[in-house]
Amino acid sequence: MKDKKKPNEEKHIKISRRDFVSAAAAAAAFTIVPRHVLGGPRHVPPSEKLNIAGVGVGGRGSSDITALSSENIVALCDVDWKRAGGTFKRYPNAKKYKDFRRMLDEEDKNIDAVVVATPDHVHAVASIAAIKRGKHVYCEKPLTHSVYEARMVAEAAREHKVATQMGNQGQASEETRLLCEYIWGGAIGPVREVHVWTDRPLRGLSDVYWPQGVGRPEDTPSPPDTLDWDLWLGPAPERPYHPSYVPFKWRGWWDFGTGALGDIGCHSIDPIWRALKLKVPLSVEASCTLVNNETYPVASRVTYQFGPRGDMPAVKLHWYDGGMRPPRPDELDDGQQFGTNGTLFVGDRGKMFGYLIIPESRRKEFGKPPQVLDRSPGHHQEWIDACKGGKPAGSNFDHAGPLAEAVLLGNVALRPAIKEKLTRLKLLWDSANLKITNLPEANEFLRCEYRQGWSL
Amino acid sequence: MKDSVKLDRKQTLTISRRDFMNVAAATAFTIVPRHVLGGPRHVPPSEKLNIAGVGVGGRGAGDLNEVGSENIVALCDVDDKYAAGTFKRYPNAGKYRDFRRMLDKEKNIDAVIVATPDHTHAVVTMAAIKMGKHVYCEKPLAHSIYEVRRVTEAAREAKVATQLGNQGQASEGTRLVCEFIWDGAIGPVREVHSWCNRPISPRGIDRPKETPPVPGTLDWDLWLGPAPERPYHPCYLPFKWRGWWDFGTGVLGDIGCHQLVSIFRALKLGYPTSVEACSSGINSETAPLASIVRYDFPAREGMPAVKLTWYDGGLMPARPQELENGLRFGNADDNLFVGEKGKMLSHRLLPESMSKDYGRPPRVLPRSPGHHKEWINACKGGEPAGSNFDLAGPLTEMVLLGNVALRMGQQLYEKGLKLYYDGPSMKITNLPEANNYISSKYREAWTL
Repeated sequence: MKDKKKPNEEKHIKISRRDFVSAAAAAAAFTIVPRHVLGGPRHVPPSEKLNIAGVGVGGRGSSDITALSSENIVALCDVDWKRAGGTFKRYPNAKKYKDFRRMLDEEDKNIDAVVVATPDHVHAVASIAAIKRGKHVYCEKPLTHSVYEARMVAEAAREHKVATQMGNQGQASEETRLLCEYIWGGAIGPVREVHVWTDRPLRGLSDVYWPQGVGRPEDTPSPPDTLDWDLWLGPAPERPYHPSYVPFKWRGWWDFGTGALGDIGCHSIDPIWRALKLKVPLSVEASCTLVNNETYPVASRVTYQFGPRGDMPAVKLHWYDGGMRPPRPDELDDGQQFGTNGTLFVGDRGKMFGYLIIPESRRKEFGKPPQVLDRSPGHHQEWIDACKGGKPAGSNFDHAGPLAEAVLLGNVALRPAIKEKLTRLKLLWDSANLKITNLPEANEFLRCEYRQGWSL
Repeated sequence: MKDSVKLDRKQTLTISRRDFMNVAAATAFTIVPRHVLGGPRHVPPSEKLNIAGVGVGGRGAGDLNEVGSENIVALCDVDDKYAAGTFKRYPNAGKYRDFRRMLDKEKNIDAVIVATPDHTHAVVTMAAIKMGKHVYCEKPLAHSIYEVRRVTEAAREAKVATQLGNQGQASEGTRLVCEFIWDGAIGPVREVHSWCNRPISPRGIDRPKETPPVPGTLDWDLWLGPAPERPYHPCYLPFKWRGWWDFGTGVLGDIGCHQLVSIFRALKLGYPTSVEACSSGINSETAPLASIVRYDFPAREGMPAVKLTWYDGGLMPARPQELENGLRFGNADDNLFVGEKGKMLSHRLLPESMSKDYGRPPRVLPRSPGHHKEWINACKGGEPAGSNFDLAGPLTEMVLLGNVALRMGQQLYEKGLKLYYDGPSMKITNLPEANNYISSKYREAWTL
């Protein structure tokens, strides 16, 4: 805690420098000054290794770092040294931190790139701090905790010209490419309706990964010595420690996580986003089980409306979670699993279940679509390449930002405070102005309030 | 228990007599006055019916009020405390805990109102029918499809007047729905959605482990009736049995017979050909917190095949494009018909402008004198009530089939199936295990 204040001041100084740099860069676009002089990302040729730091390395961050282990892992940060213990051990030469601000401050010169795999509520502050120092960023999905943060992070990355990638690794898959190629190849004609579902937070049909639809615990056990609770909270509103939040179960809590939609939406909506060339939803509405101000509902259905894009017609996107799913299509053969997670495209001339045309007879008839998309060297490798001057990664923040915004906008439509109002309208979205136009009070849920001492 | 065993024997005797009489009835033209055969007593409209209530503490109290024009001659409840208010209101009625004893002792009963928990509907109703009593039974008609079928057949055979407690069937709204649809207001209907957010609880939980003592005012063994033995717990009663599979039928069973009746009638539905369900989690003890159940119906009398989707727990379909901003589309409960030429929310055409242009459909259905009154009239020789069991039976079977799909959720996922249903033979044809849920297991000494 004491340790926290000093870096904060230092950060402030750094941000000012960064702001100056941005202003300078923007004002004099053609000035020929090497980027490193301006504090931008260090030039790392493909023959060299990146120096990577991890923030949040106990859970998913641990596998991200493994996936990047061709590079130098130079620093690791986690507020929970017990959960991070395994990762710390695997990289004995990396410096260990609890506070990412201190790490960025002390290791500024050594770090080229940062992997952010904290709980959702810390994604934005950690990513922006890194971006403003000219670090490349790989950030787990969803990009941020709020729509506003997603916009800010994507803008900052663009401004600072850093290489970015969101942690929705499915975007790099063969399946995602095939899906696009089938849809673009006219496999099912124009698509006006898509369904996408996950059983999360369910784990199977009789267990849960994390609880939703529950209230705040009343007991206040003391945090374990190995956990810095204040840093875990980060920008989130003050509340006492409880094991219901950490590790992992924060996903179900409004203040920390983004529910099943935030957890899975950036994975499973991404292929739809690409195949249907979605940009911004025009409206969103939802229905769900009983919902409170503490946790997300047990199950929900969120429906987005998108306008026409190029030669593609307007399309409705239906999201289901908590075990709900769309009707099993008649085109699916008996015995073929419809899945606890899945995607169903309804086109004018047929249906696709994931990237498979159904029924199978039609799939055979259509054959393979022409290959028009480059294949990926791997999701993490894409980012490494981008950090070394290669082309932007597939889920760079210019792509991932709008996707995450749409996903998170769905959660706004689940907010209990506006539920009654939402029986009379859909939320109309003005993306350019980052505003819900027909229900002003809904706009407060586009961003999260930060605790004193925290800002983007 | 002793009392119930004794009565059981008598009941068996009664059944034998009844079975004999059914055979007799089959020789249809024998001229024997009905009452000699033990059929319903003839009560002219000028006279009052003698009505008995079984399960009179909760909804049963409301039903008795509704038939207050008649004589309430006997009351039965296993819970003295819950029934106390009703007992007090009818000081002259005989009071019983065991319906079998009541039916045995009270020779002057013409008609019985059954408003027990779902798991005892069938045994009570069947006992009354077999004694030639008219029956008003709360919804759902029974706890299982098998029971519904048997009760429906028995009522038809015994020629008693029946009515299910889905009072919305008697409403103007239900008639309007039919008249709009039959007039082609929205064209052929291939898709209907129905939803209800009723928060019955508990759902999605396991059986309690503690075994508190049974209150002195409750006969737990009789409360259990035909259901499998288990220790008493206050989480089952009063009212909370609805969420427990052994006793209740979830929100679908509780509300489905109310809310789906207008759909069932307007679209002239019968047996579905398939059903599938998804839910917020499967639990062998209680119904899920939220579920979606989907039925397929084949084409019927000039109407195309139709898909019916039921949602509970707060879920509902997406807001229809046709519904103007500012108009309510809430998750409390409603029905949305999707026709080829338009949509209808309950009996309101969408959009509002279309509703205004269209006006009202021609009136082709007679209006009801009131749901309970329909039954009273039928008991006195009038026309059959609107939800007599010949109509209410198939409706309830459809509703309960949804619960079969919910309970088979895990297998539906794993095996990649909908359940295919053969209505006439009450069989799931593609997943034999599912047939275990077509009937409920009875404790020893209980039969239909």
